[in-house]
Formats: sequence, C-alpha cells, structure tokens
Amino acid sequence: MLVKNRMTADPVAVRPSDTLADALRLTREHRIRHLPVVDGEALVGIVSDRDIRLAMPSPLTVADADRAAFLERTPVSEVMTREVETVGPYDPVEDAARQLCRRRVGALPVVDAHGRLLGIVTETDILHAFAEVVGAGGAASRLEVSLPDRPGELARALHILGEDLRLNITGLMVLPKPEGGRKTAIVHVATIDPREAIAALERAGCRVGWPSLEADLRKGMPS
Amino acid sequence: MSGIRTALVWDPAVTAYRFRPDHPFNPKRLELTVSLIEALGLVDGERHRIVPPRPATDAELLRVHSAEYLEAVKRLSAPGADLSEAWRWGLGTDDTPVFPGMHEVTALVAGGSIRAAEMVMSGEVTRAFNVCGGLHHAHRDRASGFCVYSDLAAAIAWIREHHGARVMYVDYDAHHGDGVQGIFYEDPDVLTLSVHESGRYLFPGTGFVDELGEGDGYGYSLNLPLEPFTEDGSWISLYEKLLPEVAEAFRPDVIVLQNGCDGHAWDPLTHLRASTRLYEETVRITCEVADRLCGGRVVATGGGGYAVWKVVPRAWTLVWAGLSGQGVPKAVPREWLDRWQGESPDLLPETMRDGDDAFPPVPRRDEIEATNRRTLESLRRQALPLLRGWGLGF
Repeated sequence: MLVKNRMTADPVAVRPSDTLADALRLTREHRIRHLPVVDGEALVGIVSDRDIRLAMPSPLTVADADRAAFLERTPVSEVMTREVETVGPYDPVEDAARQLCRRRVGALPVVDAHGRLLGIVTETDILHAFAEVVGAGGAASRLEVSLPDRPGELARALHILGEDLRLNITGLMVLPKPEGGRKTAIVHVATIDPREAIAALERAGCRVGWPSLEADLRKGMPS
Repeated sequence: MSGIRTALVWDPAVTAYRFRPDHPFNPKRLELTVSLIEALGLVDGERHRIVPPRPATDAELLRVHSAEYLEAVKRLSAPGADLSEAWRWGLGTDDTPVFPGMHEVTALVAGGSIRAAEMVMSGEVTRAFNVCGGLHHAHRDRASGFCVYSDLAAAIAWIREHHGARVMYVDYDAHHGDGVQGIFYEDPDVLTLSVHESGRYLFPGTGFVDELGEGDGYGYSLNLPLEPFTEDGSWISLYEKLLPEVAEAFRPDVIVLQNGCDGHAWDPLTHLRASTRLYEETVRITCEVADRLCGGRVVATGGGGYAVWKVVPRAWTLVWAGLSGQGVPKAVPREWLDRWQGESPDLLPETMRDGDDAFPPVPRRDEIEATNRRTLESLRRQALPLLRGWGLGF
C-alpha cells in the first residue's frame, strides 16, 4: 500500500501572499485542517487552522473587528511552517505513518522528486488504512496465535493452517515487541469452524487466544 | 393470537443438503426436529400442517444472486465438475464443499422459505416455519459458512416483489447474519437486525454496531453484538427492550425470523451460554410484536445449530410451538427417546427445557451484562433517531 493510493490528490492549497482570512475560509469550506502553501508548482510551506488561530490576537484583549482586520492584512507567509515534512507518492504508507508519529504533525504534503506538490496525506487517511488492514478481508474467524520468537515458528503455524488444513488466510498481523520469548500473530482464517485449526496449532506448541470459559474459571478474568 | 393456522415446511428431500458425512452442518438435526414435533402432536394436518417446499426458480434466485454465481453453482453441481476455480465462489472449501446435486437441493431449501412467505403473505397461514432454511451467510456472488443460496434473501425479495411489503428481518443465530445484511445494505424497505456473539473472534468477524447500512439504507441495518458467554437473562432482556422499539419505528408488514440455535451453551462452535428459554422467549416476544404491528405475520427459518442431538430438536420444537401457539409438556416423549438414543453419541436430555441448574454459573457475569447493556445503548443512540426521524418523513 503506497502513499499515492491513500493521499488526496490535487489538494486545496494557498499561495504565500494569500491572506489568513482566505486560508481560514478554505479550511472551513472544505472541512480540512491543513493547507499546503505553493509558489507556482513548488511547495514552500504548510499552514494549519491551528497555526492561524494561534497567530490571532486574543479575543479577550482585542475587539472582533480588529481581529478580522488582522486576518485580512496578514499574509500566509508570516505564519506558515517553512521546514515542511513531506513524503513521496511511492513511499509505503507505513513510512508516512511513522513520520506523522515522530514529527507530531497532522498531515504530510506529497511531493515529486522536484518538490512539486502532488497531494496530501493526513492522519485520518492513515487511520482509515489501518482500520482496513486490521479488519482484514472477508468472513473469517480471528485467532490470536502466540508463538516462540524464533525463525521458522510463524512459517510453521501458517503451514499448518494453509497447507495441512487448506484454510484461506485472509488477514495476518504480527505484533512487534515479543514478550517472554514469544510473539503474537493475529491470523484471520476463512472458516466458521476453527476447532481443528486451534487444536492443530496447540499440538504444535502455539497458544491460541480464543474465548475460553475454562480459562475464565481458572483466572477469574478476561480470556 | 390463539387458534391461528400455521405451516411447517418440510420434506425429507431437503436432507440432501449435506456436504460430507462428518460435516458439522448435519441434516440429521432436521429429521430429529420434525420427528420430535410429530411425537408431541404439534402438527395435526389441519390447523398446523406440514407443507412440502418447492424449488426456487432461477428468476427468484437471480433477484438476490448474480448470474455468474448461479451459473457457477450449477456447473459445480454436475458430477466430475472441474473444481479448480470453485474457491472464487467460496465453494470447495472445508466449510462449504461442493457436492453433487448441490444446485437442486439448495434451490429446494430456498424455495422452502419462499413457500413459507407465499403462504403467510396470502393469508393462508399466519406463520410458517421452514426448518431447513436460514442460510444467512450466503452472499450475492459467494458461498460462505455452510450457505450456498440465500433462502432468506430470496424469500424477502419475493415478498418485496409480489406484495411490496416492508420486511423486518430478525436474526438471533450466534453468528452475524452478514449475507442477508449485505444483500439489503442499501435498501430502506428491508430492515435487518442481527443479534449475535461479537465478531471480535467469532466468524464472520463483522456485525458491529457501526454497521448501519449505506445510501438510502442508512439506518436500516442494526447489529447487537453480544459478549462471549452471554446468558439467557442478559440476552432476553436486551431483545425485549430493543425489538419493540425498532419495530414501532420501522412499522413492518411482516417479520422474517432466523432461529439459528447455536447460541446455546452446549453448541460446540460458539461461546454464548443460552438455554432453551431463549428460543421460547425470543419467539414469544417476536410474535407479540408481530400480532400488534403486522397481523401476526412471521416467516421463520432454522439456521445454525451444531449440538445436533442435545439442543437442536428441542430448541426448534419450542420455536414451532411458540409460532403455532401450542403448549409443550415438560418431558421429552419416551417414544422419541427410544427411537433415537441408540444412534446418539450423547445421552439425550429427557426434559424439553433445560433446568435452571443445567449450566455452571459464568464468572464475570456482571461485567458481561454491563458490557452488553452499553452495546445496546450505543446501538439505540445511533440507530433509533435515524429510524424514527425518517419514519416520520423528515
């Protein structure tokens, strides 16, 4: 999954000389929070509705009319962020997600090799992609498979499901940060009856997370 | 509504809907159910009759399935068919293997539900029960979870086409009724309500509260996912609160009720903890709503249910008795036990209803019930304003 599949192409943008009033109007009209700033085709900055509101004089000390006048006369170039974090259209979405987290920004303009603006990808786009990925595709039972954290263990578990039992695996996620020498894979298998799959995985030394009244009775807590 | 006429749609020919000798979707349960209904004298050939199904026509199936899918099922039903592409259609899997004559018998199951709808809508009977129907996982162009053709969707589409009636589909199988929901997801004249074990672990992994329909159908798909290990008390009280509110807002002309009984505590495929009380109470609540709002009309089907010997015959006999307004004695008839105990791998229960002490108490009961109540409130908050607002023509 690449950034270009998830970005909004040809995003709403402003020029450095546009006023803050123009910019604020655009964010409201299009119900967006981030505006790339372009000079011709080149990306030169980014401005968010929050940047604009933070730049405004306080309504406690300044009259509304003066605040409006401030917006009308101040150009975007005065409040925009010039050091813009960007991604390329062929970067994987996980790169975009990592940058959004690390830089603590809400959106990344997408630019080509020459710095021309192609699109924008926001934290909402990434969240939608994440929801799709973890939701997996098609009707399935969801197994949480805990495996020893050594090479070959995941392959062995998948072999049992896919080859021995000929189940279609419709979703697969391996959680990072193994604990106690074990890692967890969340596997979606296209079957209404996973009893055989669970038994086979347990025989092979995996622990399978699946609602269990026996476990509840033992622990007196959620399974 | 006492003294009503009802029909039990049944013909032993439907037991050919059988994938493999050891497959969990075992038609033996149908034979056991009808034999228990007969042993209790709950069909009399007059007011409460057994009526054979008829096959659904291609035209009827094409209202809810794609032409390509219908063609594929027919092609794969022939002896010696090439199965290499069957998986594209969700067939040839362990869940839903291909078997000879698959098209013919599946069309007969679907026709059984249409037959039930015909009799109810013509007024010939007030309620009908197609015990072999309820294949709620079949999609427009894909088999899934033991289901090839959607008898439910075909019956609903038949009602829409021939009577223009508003249909409320209610499904309390332990698994989400994803197939029926999907087929009518954009249709505001068919409301689907599915109550099931949460899809967090269980197949098909859908049926969350936020699945509310799309387009014109937004607000007409309702889902109440229950926590694993939910028991009768919580389940019945939620249903008793929700169903009348939804029905009063939607104003159906007929209710289609899927009675999958795999939410029973002894079912091997799910984690719900219902007893036989759930089946009596759900049918009672549903028929009360139907009597009040839509002339009593209920088209009922079977569905899931994998405790073939110990649960299904009793659960569906209670369903039939409730639909037809007949009483059920405490004891399972001796003649029925004598006839079947030899074949049964389990000791057959001797009472029609589970005793209060049949199941060990569930730990975390308070937490499970509180979570279920929160889920219900979330569903009511999201769905009822949509239904009520649009019902008034805003």
